[in-house]
Amino acid sequence: MGTASIASRLGQVRSKLGTSPPLMHLALALAGLVMVIVVLESTSQFRNGQFAAMAYLGIAAGGLTMLTGLNGQLSLGHGALMAIGAYTAALLLPDADAGTPVVLVLLAAILVTTVIGGLIGVAAARLHGPYIAGATLALAVAVPGIALYFGETLGGEQGLTVSLPEIPGWFADVVYFVSAHDVTGSKYVAYIGWLSLIVTYVLLANLSRSRVGRKWRAVRDDEVSAEIAGINLARTRVVAFVVSAACAGLAGAVMAIAVRITAPSGFTLTLSLSLLTAVVLGGLGSLGGALIGAALLTFLPQLVTGLGHDAGLSDLQAAELAPLVYGLTLVLVILLAPAGIVGSLRTWQARRVPSKPTSEQQLGVQSGGKK
Amino acid sequence: MLDIRDLTTSYGPVKALDGVTFTAPKGKITAVLGANGAGKTTLLRTVSGLIRPDRGSTHLDGQDLARMPAEKMPGLGLAHVPEGRGVITELTVEENLRLGALGRADRSRPADIDRVYSMFPVLNDRRNAVAHVLSGGERQMLVIGRALMAEPRVLLLDEPSLGLAPRIVVQIFELIKSLAESDGLTVVLVEQNARSALSIADIGVVLNLGRLVAHDEATALAADEKLRHAYLGF
Amino acid sequence: MQQFLTTSLTGLTLGMVYAAFALALVLIWRSTRIVNFAQAPMAMITTYVALVVVDAGMSYWIGFAAALLSGLILGAVTERVVIRPVEGKPEINAVILTLGLFVLLHALAAVIFGSRYRSFPAPFGLRGFQVGDMTVALTGFGIFTIVSVVVVMLLLVVLFRYTDLGLMMRASAFNQEVARLLGVKVGRMLTLGWALAALVGSLSGLLIAGGSLVHPSYMDSVVVYGFVAAVLGGLDSPGGAVIGGLILGISLSFVSGYVGSELVALAALVVLMAVLLLKPGGLFSHATARRV
Repeated sequence: MGTASIASRLGQVRSKLGTSPPLMHLALALAGLVMVIVVLESTSQFRNGQFAAMAYLGIAAGGLTMLTGLNGQLSLGHGALMAIGAYTAALLLPDADAGTPVVLVLLAAILVTTVIGGLIGVAAARLHGPYIAGATLALAVAVPGIALYFGETLGGEQGLTVSLPEIPGWFADVVYFVSAHDVTGSKYVAYIGWLSLIVTYVLLANLSRSRVGRKWRAVRDDEVSAEIAGINLARTRVVAFVVSAACAGLAGAVMAIAVRITAPSGFTLTLSLSLLTAVVLGGLGSLGGALIGAALLTFLPQLVTGLGHDAGLSDLQAAELAPLVYGLTLVLVILLAPAGIVGSLRTWQARRVPSKPTSEQQLGVQSGGKK
Repeated sequence: MLDIRDLTTSYGPVKALDGVTFTAPKGKITAVLGANGAGKTTLLRTVSGLIRPDRGSTHLDGQDLARMPAEKMPGLGLAHVPEGRGVITELTVEENLRLGALGRADRSRPADIDRVYSMFPVLNDRRNAVAHVLSGGERQMLVIGRALMAEPRVLLLDEPSLGLAPRIVVQIFELIKSLAESDGLTVVLVEQNARSALSIADIGVVLNLGRLVAHDEATALAADEKLRHAYLGF
Repeated sequence: MQQFLTTSLTGLTLGMVYAAFALALVLIWRSTRIVNFAQAPMAMITTYVALVVVDAGMSYWIGFAAALLSGLILGAVTERVVIRPVEGKPEINAVILTLGLFVLLHALAAVIFGSRYRSFPAPFGLRGFQVGDMTVALTGFGIFTIVSVVVVMLLLVVLFRYTDLGLMMRASAFNQEVARLLGVKVGRMLTLGWALAALVGSLSGLLIAGGSLVHPSYMDSVVVYGFVAAVLGGLDSPGGAVIGGLILGISLSFVSGYVGSELVALAALVVLMAVLLLKPGGLFSHATARRV
């Protein structure tokens, strides 16, 4: 076959896929899976651990970017929701003899967080802007305290240790078949994380393209019109919150398995704000952006701390450089590129194709200043 | 007097004002008329500095107001009572009026608040009432009084009759007329209610889609049936 | 009885501090329609400024003044440089911006001043008075706290109600365009609003720090409590902020004393949700939301 006909074949395939978003997502997922296998098999145990972190941060960020980007609800409490998922997992995997299947652990975490997320979502559905930010901020500050109060069951300050779920025999065999290596604990966790992420992202991507996703956007953009169109505002918001909470719960469970401990100190306000940073940087509403944000959160601190050491800062000071960069980035992104990295790229691309905005749009934008 | 030359303002690709030129003479009322979206409010907002024009100029008694920000206008003798009146409902009547005086050019003499109270006795009765409780007509009087506290030479009024009972509209319009005559105030009156506006105005200017389509004595405009039907709705 | 009294008095003193912080939030909300979550680390940084001054050998009061002055400057600069670009834009931008500032200032303080816990001096006694055989839990510093907050509030009332400047600030907060047309330099009023708010925030930072430990996160829970207090009173109401602060301070003190100090933040969350679900405008609101 000549290159021309291969190209035209590929073009046909792409256009076939392009007409059906779920198929395209599935194709991307498979491609992603292949890449994950390649990367995890060819990197060290330490790196595998890092990739596991990137996975669970990516899951949480994915849920958050859907909530904030598509539905317009800001949440500073997703760290707390991760904590709920993590503690659920920890309670189900207390010691090596527990033997709870990992899928059950993850599902349980999702279930618990979904229920609690539903309660919070109902309360938050009527809030907007600074109110929901403040309320979820209060949540983020309050949840660690609960873990401390119920110290006997939840381990108090020290937290609970989490045992690694048993690696299934078939899994070890498949891995050996693919890479001729034995599967380590870190690698297993990384696979758990990435498989969960791929499944989650496919579901979220399909959701975004579906009627439900359009409803979310409608509620975000214009409440009054949405309500007139028959959309139940409160229910839409609660569903959106619950979905993102489920993601956070799953992420928390994976984190518990990866870090092998859940303690209040792991779920500080910093975690929630870091998730927000990842999501803003990547562009609200973009799953690809959420993944980029998660990557930055995972790999940037090491890089930045290293630079700090070279510049002569002490250990403690250098450790603070990562949050410094997060804060600075958030500020600069809002001031310079409010659409985030991915959004700015999209706008830049769009600008290359000039289009005339309607006069109504322009009038709406320009007559600002009216209160 | 207010001299407007070739004033052009755009919102993106849309020209809300296109080369508008006319003079509002001193001591007279110039009515600016036209349908919704004709550019009347945009005209006032451009003159008072809330919007920057693309080109053109505004001169107040010979002084160039080009590119001046809105905050400077009262000090230069121009007062703008915006669309919707702009009553600060949290403040009392007296506080609203005192606020108006803060922008005036000559701060050496105390502000003449009593004059406004004598012009609008109903405000005098409600000096310390929070402006929130005033009726529509009372609010209109308040904002006109507040604008006068700045001792302006030019008064821009955006749809003062909006939402008011006809009887009150008559009252307010008569008041505006007497102000123009007694103080030599240059009044630019934007109105949807063209018939009433023309009854007190000396000069009429008609805008359509941002362009000036008629500029004549008020009586002449009121008599021109074709014009009235085409642009003024009566 | 002793515990009840102690809890109430502690709550009152703490409530005054929350009231001050809530007042700072309300001042900024009224003028720019932004909740300044970064007020906490801003206050923390000005307290560190005071600490640096005191460490250099100068008296507490010079440190106190330095903190208040740096608060004024920090507030003014923040509004002019960082916040001005997002005023009037979608509110989510401002929220993320203030959160970014929150994180940034935190980290900056840790890098410059270090993260370890430092003790902060108190200018007045920290022990309660003896009345008969009871110890009244009102310390010298507690009285100072109450008095200083009351003084600052009275000064603000005088400013807003009886001066031309206050009139201009109130007008700017109500409707920027109308204020501009009346000759008010709205931009300057907003900057001044933020500067004053930061001053009040700095005061609460100093009052919390007095006789206690200071570290970069020490004001974080205060922003939550200040926010809850402000919402309780109504974000538009300065008087409401004060009363909200007192109510919250006393309630939380009772939770801490009789239930457990770990659940105080949860209690604040419960109060917040109760207010937002039952009377969203706060106890002193006038406006009702427009419903379709």
